[in-house]
Amino acid sequence: MEFKVRAYRFNPEIDEKPYYKEYTVEDYPGMTVLNALIKVKSELDGTLSFRRSCRSAICGSCAMKINGISKLACKTQVSPEIEKFGIINVEPLANMPVVRDLIVDQEIFFDKIKEIKPYLLGQREDEAHNHFHVLKEGEKISQPVYYKPEFQNLTGNNDTPNCILCECCYSECGGVVGNPRYLGPAALAKLYRYSEDPRDNDKNGSRLVNGSKPDGMWDCVHCQSCEEFCPKGISPVKSIVKLHERTIKNSITFSAGSKHVVSIAKSIGETGRLDEIKVAFESGGISGLINDLPMAFGAGLKGKIPPLRLKLIKDMEDIRLAYKELDLEEK
Amino acid sequence: MITYAYYPGCVAQESAKELDNATKFIADKLGINLIPMPEASCCGGGVIDGFDKNLKLFINGRTLALAEKDGLDIMTICNTCTLTLSEVNEELINNPESLEKTNEYLAKIGLKYSGKVKVKHILYAVRDDVGLDKLKEKAVKSLKGINIAPFYGCHILRPSSAVKFDDVENPQGFEELIKALGGEPVSYARRTKCCGFQTILVNEATSTSLAGNAIYEAQEKNADVMVTPCPLCHLSLDTYQTVAAKSINKKLSLPILHLPQLIGVALGGDYSEMGFSRHNVSLRGIMAKVRQNEI
Repeated sequence: MEFKVRAYRFNPEIDEKPYYKEYTVEDYPGMTVLNALIKVKSELDGTLSFRRSCRSAICGSCAMKINGISKLACKTQVSPEIEKFGIINVEPLANMPVVRDLIVDQEIFFDKIKEIKPYLLGQREDEAHNHFHVLKEGEKISQPVYYKPEFQNLTGNNDTPNCILCECCYSECGGVVGNPRYLGPAALAKLYRYSEDPRDNDKNGSRLVNGSKPDGMWDCVHCQSCEEFCPKGISPVKSIVKLHERTIKNSITFSAGSKHVVSIAKSIGETGRLDEIKVAFESGGISGLINDLPMAFGAGLKGKIPPLRLKLIKDMEDIRLAYKELDLEEK
Repeated sequence: MITYAYYPGCVAQESAKELDNATKFIADKLGINLIPMPEASCCGGGVIDGFDKNLKLFINGRTLALAEKDGLDIMTICNTCTLTLSEVNEELINNPESLEKTNEYLAKIGLKYSGKVKVKHILYAVRDDVGLDKLKEKAVKSLKGINIAPFYGCHILRPSSAVKFDDVENPQGFEELIKALGGEPVSYARRTKCCGFQTILVNEATSTSLAGNAIYEAQEKNADVMVTPCPLCHLSLDTYQTVAAKSINKKLSLPILHLPQLIGVALGGDYSEMGFSRHNVSLRGIMAKVRQNEI
């Protein structure tokens, strides 16, 4: 069966603007989008540029937008795409500048990965682990430290270390679309992974403090795209939420994002409901309130004002008990 | 008569009361019996697990248990409530440890959950349980000649491990419903993207740029109106539309409907019954078009 590949083409050295070019390719059972692109390049148009390497969904090189969604071309079969969309539409990943055709400049992505210090900080205080120990005659090797229970879960989420840095999550991330400076899902999932690692010697909580600054963990828009479209089944957003929880439990609450979450939790604990006015005020403070005043005034004129005092839900004591059971009353 | 435990969520009972009213209006017309849940609490606004994961399980496990006690499935009208309740439901069904822990708490308040409740958003309750044929039959106005941009938002589609109503890559439920009402669905890339609401009080610029660009794209595709299944998206898209326009430096003027209002108009609801006076962007133009479309 023949099908069409519609490829985004752009060579900034000669093209004024991007354009699309169509190629007709013959299908075979099990053909992947990468197979199709290699066929186009070797048989129809040698100028089509794209990254590829392992063909086994482990190097992350061939990530691109396939019919609008960021995927690995080597892991995506042609036939279900044709069945659903009738064409293979290929475009470069989003949120990064295009170098040529389907190739993007990854520098901004890797700069953000570097920013979270993706390595273990400092050294363990335990002297025995800082020096090589020459075994004396007859001395037995002691049990390796990683078998101790405290080292059973080194990375918080078991899935996070499976990241292949393919940038699919970064390309799909709503937070990055809205704020190009936002660290993005891959970097923040790594931040969580290191903040959970008992080998990391981050004495003063600098990871959580730095991650709470503007453009960090609180800029996640919770669009769930990173989890949905990760080709390795990782959920960066769940790591980001765990970072939020860890940050709040460590009382690092200077950011508007953490104030927002604490305020919602407080409101539910008091009334069983989300108090829109109180949450808005406690999240943004006075400056936020002043900023939103014209919008709020306009909405008020239309009668779109939440009640100033909320009625408690029925059986509110059930909710109070949940907070008590979880020891959250003070927080 | 189809019966659901009705979980409107907080915003539809506070600043977006017009959504709650429109939902009750269409439920009455379509023969959906909505049983109120006065004991149900807020789901946690999609962020409560950032405060405490177990709190999310307990308060939403309680809501699910309340519906199970009455032998009912839950109908929602907010994407974020839908996702939160669905995520907790999946967790309680698939993780015996979480279920046990939650049931220990529920036992203390005289409840128990065993995983029998289904959580359904009104979009898919109308499509699957009421049926589009019945919807067509009940319609008294056609939406013919009106270009309607469906804005799915995030939490009704993603993650598909928890919400399983539609094809996450190419959803069609909304378009099918619009066509059933005689309207013309507008195809645009941002229909499944984020409205930015979750950061509206944290980083307004991020939020309004997402909402603004979605509205702008739909406008450029000649949409007469945009429709959303979520009151949080509605706040971003309608209430903040003037701010969004400034944020992306484009002229925006697209009326935004709640999904039950769109259905309500086709079922004969008038301007005041649908609460259109509470909207930021006027709906008078759309209503004038609809008035001419008697079936």
